[in-house]
Amino acid sequence: MAAYLSMGEAHRRIGDYLSRVTNAISYSDGAALASLLSVSSAPASTPLSDALAAFPDFPRLAGDRFPHLADFLVPLLRAIHSHSIQRFADAYSSFEKASNAFLQEFRNWETPWAMDAMHTVALEIRLIAEKADRELATNGKNPDKLQAAGSFLMKVFGTLAVKGPKRIGALYVTCQLFKIYFRLGTVNLCRSVIRSIETARNFDFEDFPVKDKVTYMYYTGRLEVFNENFLVADQKLTYALMRCNPQSESNLRRVLKFLIPVKLSMGVLPKRTLLERYNLLEYADVVTALKRGDLRLLRQALDRHEDQFLKSGVYLVLEKLELQVYQRLVKKIHIIQRQKEPAKAHQIKLDVVVKALKWLEIDMDVDEVECIMACLIYKNLIKGYFAHKSKVLVLSKQDPFPKLNGKPV
Amino acid sequence: MRKPAGAWSKPFHLRTHLYLLAIIFGFSLTGIFLYYLMDSINQNSVYYDPQRDVSVSGATQSVTNSESHVVQSANSYVPYPTSVQQDYNAVQHPNHYYNYPQAANDSSVQRGVDQGPGAAYQPHTSFPNSGSYVGPTSNTYYTAGAHQTVPGYATSNYYYHQNNTWGNGSCVNNHAQSYQSCIPDSNVAQSSSSLPTSSVHYQQQYSQWAYYYDQSAQTSGGLAVTGSGSTAPDTKTVTIDSNYAHTSNQPPPPGTTSWKNDAGNTTTPPSQEQGIQGYQNQYASQVPVAPMFHTHYVNNAAGIPTFQNQCVSLAYQHSSANHNQLPLSNQVDQQKVLPLHGSSSNVSSVNHVSENPETPWQDSLSSNVHMLNKIQISTNPRIAQDFPIGTPQVDKSKLEADSSLKPAYVCVSMPKNDVTVSQNGSEAVMQVTGSFPVSLRTYVERNLARCKDDAQRTASRSILKEIITKATADGTLHTKNWDIEPLFTLPEKATSMNMTSNGKDSSPFSSSRSPSRRTKSRWEPVAKSRWEPVAEENVANNVELPNELAKINICSSLEPTKRMSNSWDLRKHVQSRQSPLSQYSHRPTKMQRTGGDASLTENGNASSDSDKEQGLMKYYTSSIAQANSPEEKKRREHRSKRFEQSQGTPSKSRSSVPDKDATDNIYTSRATSLLLNRSNGDGAGLAVEDYDWDALTIKGTCQQIEKPYLRLTSAPDPATVRPEDVLEKALCMVETSEKNYLYKCDQLKSIRQDLTVQRIQSELTVKVYETHARLAIQSGDLAEYNQCQSQLRRCYGEGVKGCNLEFSAYNLLYLVHSNNKRDLLSSMASLPKEAKKDTAVKHALEVRYAFSSGNYVLFFKLYKMAPNLNSCLMDLYVERMRFVAMKCMSKSYRPTVPVRYAARVLGFVGIDEVCEANGADGLEECEEWLKAHGAILSVDNNGELQIDTKVSSTSLYLPETENAVSHGDASLAVDDFLTRASS
Repeated sequence: MAAYLSMGEAHRRIGDYLSRVTNAISYSDGAALASLLSVSSAPASTPLSDALAAFPDFPRLAGDRFPHLADFLVPLLRAIHSHSIQRFADAYSSFEKASNAFLQEFRNWETPWAMDAMHTVALEIRLIAEKADRELATNGKNPDKLQAAGSFLMKVFGTLAVKGPKRIGALYVTCQLFKIYFRLGTVNLCRSVIRSIETARNFDFEDFPVKDKVTYMYYTGRLEVFNENFLVADQKLTYALMRCNPQSESNLRRVLKFLIPVKLSMGVLPKRTLLERYNLLEYADVVTALKRGDLRLLRQALDRHEDQFLKSGVYLVLEKLELQVYQRLVKKIHIIQRQKEPAKAHQIKLDVVVKALKWLEIDMDVDEVECIMACLIYKNLIKGYFAHKSKVLVLSKQDPFPKLNGKPV
Repeated sequence: MRKPAGAWSKPFHLRTHLYLLAIIFGFSLTGIFLYYLMDSINQNSVYYDPQRDVSVSGATQSVTNSESHVVQSANSYVPYPTSVQQDYNAVQHPNHYYNYPQAANDSSVQRGVDQGPGAAYQPHTSFPNSGSYVGPTSNTYYTAGAHQTVPGYATSNYYYHQNNTWGNGSCVNNHAQSYQSCIPDSNVAQSSSSLPTSSVHYQQQYSQWAYYYDQSAQTSGGLAVTGSGSTAPDTKTVTIDSNYAHTSNQPPPPGTTSWKNDAGNTTTPPSQEQGIQGYQNQYASQVPVAPMFHTHYVNNAAGIPTFQNQCVSLAYQHSSANHNQLPLSNQVDQQKVLPLHGSSSNVSSVNHVSENPETPWQDSLSSNVHMLNKIQISTNPRIAQDFPIGTPQVDKSKLEADSSLKPAYVCVSMPKNDVTVSQNGSEAVMQVTGSFPVSLRTYVERNLARCKDDAQRTASRSILKEIITKATADGTLHTKNWDIEPLFTLPEKATSMNMTSNGKDSSPFSSSRSPSRRTKSRWEPVAKSRWEPVAEENVANNVELPNELAKINICSSLEPTKRMSNSWDLRKHVQSRQSPLSQYSHRPTKMQRTGGDASLTENGNASSDSDKEQGLMKYYTSSIAQANSPEEKKRREHRSKRFEQSQGTPSKSRSSVPDKDATDNIYTSRATSLLLNRSNGDGAGLAVEDYDWDALTIKGTCQQIEKPYLRLTSAPDPATVRPEDVLEKALCMVETSEKNYLYKCDQLKSIRQDLTVQRIQSELTVKVYETHARLAIQSGDLAEYNQCQSQLRRCYGEGVKGCNLEFSAYNLLYLVHSNNKRDLLSSMASLPKEAKKDTAVKHALEVRYAFSSGNYVLFFKLYKMAPNLNSCLMDLYVERMRFVAMKCMSKSYRPTVPVRYAARVLGFVGIDEVCEANGADGLEECEEWLKAHGAILSVDNNGELQIDTKVSSTSLYLPETENAVSHGDASLAVDDFLTRASS
């Protein structure tokens, strides 16, 4: 469709775009600049990309018209062009050049008027890098663009995370970095950024924009899930959940996906309606198993969603729920026993537990079950002691099965 | 004659080194520097006499022949008419001394000498030396040279001498003053106050000097034509002296704050840069001297032992440079192609001609020289013209070079410049200043010098031609940093020769500066960009040479004694030397510190407390200054940017880069070149991935099955690398060997190295890594295991077959140990379904589950039935698991737990063999373990040993493991490792 575009028209369109960019810069209009820089969000056949296709000499045009901005505008036009013709690796290279030039300029601007534009650049470079990596991977090449985008964003972060008015934009870049690192599986790189955000004394975290705070808390909460710091993870994810835009269901779901396992490990079970509403039914069986003390169901649930849980990183958390399921099972045995012969309600024979597990089709020998009982006592899930000689679990008369009440196991 | 006999062979070694260095540096530097060099040498010697004596005396012990000479030269500076030559002697001997240990230890070096194939100038050395050079001491040689010099030259020398003495006086004074002031003030006081004034002072001097300089330049031009050398030298020397004296002042300003450190030095140039243009020009030429002096001074102040060395080495280089250059000049004269060449050059050439025996290889050299000369000449006329006018371009390039000069190293480099100058003769030197890529010339020389016979030479010549044409086409002529050139593999063999040519052709850098291009450039208007490369090269030289020298002197002990390569390639030397230096370059203060300390120990009386304090003071101030200086910041910025520069950065883009960048790039490129042993790169920090590894891949020829592992410090030599079939035998040998793990590890590492350098990635590779990984697991060598495992993961990922399930099981087990949840998760996620059915993997997964859920019973059950070497990896956390289990049991069991039961569930005895004979051993072991961990045992009514859980629950503790080491990994403890390995 670019064929019938006249050269003059193409020239005019490119010139128009260029002057709008330069005007936005000269008038310090950050929002306008930001919209002009969103390379990837523009549809493939905008007037501009058609014009670029019809007028291949556009780099010269940009260079001649605005020589002082040539190192920014020329690669920018190239990036738009390459992106519109689906050559994302090229688009990335050009856009990175343009971004570097822009960052250079941005450093020199004393006020943060261009923060929107900077954020757009940060977002765009990540999106284009992801596309470029996909393209490179399908071509059998080494997909390293996202990594490169990560190092560029680190530069941006370095520029923003300083004293002064620009710091307010640092958290957005941090979140973009998180997204990259989580995708690349190099989350250990997050640590330095987090440290820089959390140790800053001269800038209150609450002063950052809410959307950035929510994203930040979501990712740091996930990191804490990895580290099995459930209390902190609960804090952060709850923060994210409470401040998340209630309209944005997908974001809420994302937070809940990690918050639910964390809460489960602290003995807080979600209602089924919640799981249904946010389409988190993979946890439904886990919750049921916890309620019933059904070890088999838990293992089945874990097995069924193993890949999913492993990928999201909650597998190990859910696996740890086993002890709670055992606790529930012993509790049930205790309740039944109390009904049968109240006098001996606090003495549970090991054989009984082994038999119960047999019914659940879980084959464990006496030693192992004994070990499980020892662990339950050791981890304060059961109050009492185990008498090895007689193979009897002796429960405390008072509150033999203490609730977790928000304390992780 | 190629093997000089006995004690002399080592000195000659050194000489070759120096030759190479001298050549590299010499070309790059301008005539002005030459003068400086002379002055500086003299002055230095005077100033530093006391120190020198000390060290010289030390040297005499080791040096066999030259004791008397050394002593004489050191002490009797005054009596000798030509101070310069005196210096040489003195210098040389110390050099010998210092280098001695190195040479002695360095078997490979020795070999290199004998075989001599790779060294560019080796033939040179050996041949000339065989004649008059070899027999007598170096002293004789030099004196002979002096005698032979044409009268005119001699007079010039004489003038020099006079001037020098005068200059010396002033210089010394300056130094002394600054030094004295420095000590009491402890640097800080002087720094700020003295700087402004001094700078002004300098400016004046510079302008003055500029005037002189112009004069001299013009005169030199005239002289070149006429050939009357005496007057010209005079004026020049005078100017130099004045400059010099002032220059010596210069060091203090920067030095006061950071006397010894880079930051200080670097700072100076920029400030001057900003000065007036005209004045800048002068300054540029002068700058080099300043740094040099600076260094010396610094050294003195710090009392660094190296100072002497530097001086010495410089002088030595000087001499060596003369040797080298003579042939060149000869060529010029004989051919009479270059009428413009200075008269002095003629003289020198004549002398040398008479001296040098005609050798077959000289042929090639002459050809080289010829080429070089041509280049030189072409540039010369232009430069001479340009200089008086003060072309901004020239200035700029010079400035760049100056600013980029790094402190300590810079000073060293200066001497080299001087060397060159001296070689060419004063006028010629002037002209050389602007010549093109000096390094290219040396590069060509190097190539040709490697040739052993005519056939090779012709072949290499044609190759060079090709390269040159290519370079011309590429336009990369000027952008390359030829000095750090990689130099291809060893030139010794015919095959290697081919290799080289191939490498050149195919490698991206292969483009060398073509002579044709150079000649062409002569007639073209000088483009700004064109000058830049020259400057860069100068910078590179400066930076590099210091390294070399310093290395020789300071780091001779560091030099890897067991270098595998025989070749005397220039690059190899440079690079291998560089390695220690580069370290220093990054932490210059540190180096100086150590240097200072050493000096303290060496110069007994010189070491006073104040010295020490000063050293400390300097250390801190300099480090601070360095960290805060704008240069450092800029540099850092640059460092981060350097990877953005693409490989073939055109000179245009470079021109926009500030001076510091050039230096920076050089540093970085040095690092890479060090890695790669390639001396290429235009200094624009070529990324490792930019290199064409295919062109560098070698094919081994070694047939030896056994080979000790040596970490490569240079490019691999095909003669010492085993081809795949031999490696297969070697692996077989290791597998069947009865020797201990240390031996096997060594052998396997060498096999791995050979595989790596040949880039063999086959099933053999996998087999080697698997074998090594298994052995490492068995011996608890986690470091090696991890290396192997990561390599194996890569190999498996690329589809090479092997026991990947076994090793993914190991990987899981290891991750349990490292307690890295995320890696564990990703490893588990990446396991395919069928892999989870494999016994080993399944076992590993169960172990992980048992460990994380604290199910000790299951854990030790699995421990007893572990497939492959899984139990070895489980050993890593068996102790942890036992302790947790014990804590768990002591808390949950009441009142007692039988030890027999504990022994069973904690894996001390087999699950099914409780009653058997070895059950008793396990029981005892368990009892001991329990006691060692604070458990309280008691005997019940039946006489059975029980654990009193209630008491034990509070008394349990994890004893500090005997083999615990500071880094927390007990398996890395040497003693433990050795005992296990040898058992």
